[in-house]
Amino acid sequence: MHRFPKYITAAAVLLAAALTAAAIPQKPYPPRLVNDFAGILDQTGKAMLEKRLDAFSDSTSNQITVVTVNDLEGYSPAEYGTEIGLAWGVGSAEFDNGIVILVKPKTSESGGQVNISIGYGLEGAIPDSYAKRIIENEMIPAFSRNDYYSGISGACDVLMKLASGEISQPYPDEGDGRWGALFMLLLIIFVISFAVSRKKGKNDGNGRNGSGGGSIMDDSDFVKGLIIGNILGNSGHHSGWSGGGSIGGGFGGGFGGFGGGSFGGGGASGSW
Amino acid sequence: MKKGIVIIVVVVAAMAIWAVSGYNSLVTSEENVKSAWSQVENVYQRRLDLIPNLVATVKGYAEHEQETLESVVAARSKATQITVDPGQLTEENIAAYQEAQGEIGAALGRLIAISENYPDLKANRNFMELQAELAGTENRIATERRKYNETAKAYNTMVRRFPKNLLASMFGFGQKGYFEADESASSAPEVKF
Repeated sequence: MHRFPKYITAAAVLLAAALTAAAIPQKPYPPRLVNDFAGILDQTGKAMLEKRLDAFSDSTSNQITVVTVNDLEGYSPAEYGTEIGLAWGVGSAEFDNGIVILVKPKTSESGGQVNISIGYGLEGAIPDSYAKRIIENEMIPAFSRNDYYSGISGACDVLMKLASGEISQPYPDEGDGRWGALFMLLLIIFVISFAVSRKKGKNDGNGRNGSGGGSIMDDSDFVKGLIIGNILGNSGHHSGWSGGGSIGGGFGGGFGGFGGGSFGGGGASGSW
Repeated sequence: MKKGIVIIVVVVAAMAIWAVSGYNSLVTSEENVKSAWSQVENVYQRRLDLIPNLVATVKGYAEHEQETLESVVAARSKATQITVDPGQLTEENIAAYQEAQGEIGAALGRLIAISENYPDLKANRNFMELQAELAGTENRIATERRKYNETAKAYNTMVRRFPKNLLASMFGFGQKGYFEADESASSAPEVKF
């Protein structure tokens, strides 16, 4: 008799968990820093913000993402903001230096709510009381005039100043890893061809001296390298080598993606 | 004959390798739970550290509220006495810890509620900042508790599932307790159909 309600409670809890898990918007793909799901920013404003935040991410590795939604799905703004930060991995994994600016615009039936969530690594640079002050001084006055762009942009200005005082290290170039891989590949090819040439050189090195054998093999190695390069760079560009180089290409410009930063729940919320 | 010995040696070696890697993954998982717990303690401690300052600030404006102020101080001193050994993260220990900390939460809630009656206090810069820190700390507590529960769940699943449960019981890896959702949690997500 007493067990029955318990099961129902458990089922309700599970259901609630399943429903709320789906409530956080999916991580944007292609990656974007400005995610205006509520549609309160115009195209120009969005593009300008995105450009500034992307440049800031590149130059200091601090990632600020702006998210606007029409419904917090029953979460408090602080929980919702923290959850986005965690689920998307805003900031770098090394510094945990992400910031989530969450805006739920005011509508005729519900009040406006705003939250700034601060990643672990920036809690020292931006204490909760600073975040609260930014909300009260920069955001809510502008939001009350329905000027969402100025409020968000003003908050970003202050947050950038505070965050770059703490962590200011250029974001590792996206190409770096790819060039490193290419270099390793070339090194491996080189070592293999070298080993092959040594072996051949020994085989037919009866009367000749080593350097003569080597020079012949150098030519064939170059051809071999060219062939391997062509196979690897199958994107069909000009030559094998430039084809290989294009692995790193195509990623220039635009935001490169979130880095896996973590959040502990720091920050502040406000409403108007 | 010789072939049989080789097979036995290979099987024993494979089992030993499995046992070592299984044991190590249990150790790693248990360490994750402990470190998640220490984060939980950190954020609760952060709230405890805010209290003296908060009480002092409120006292200056609301002297008549002795009872509320004293209940906060009493709850704080009671909670500081209840700590959990990270090696003993049992259901009962966590429940006791949670109860003591919950009393602080309730007492602080009353303190913030009465401050509504004192406009001068509400306008005080120091009080406003403390309130922001307190709100941030409450969210930190919720976040770290959720993280702890997730880590403990991953560990408990590992301990209970076959075949690792054999290793777990052999080496005494017990289950970890969870935080229960607060009945008073105002931020509990509402279910919509």
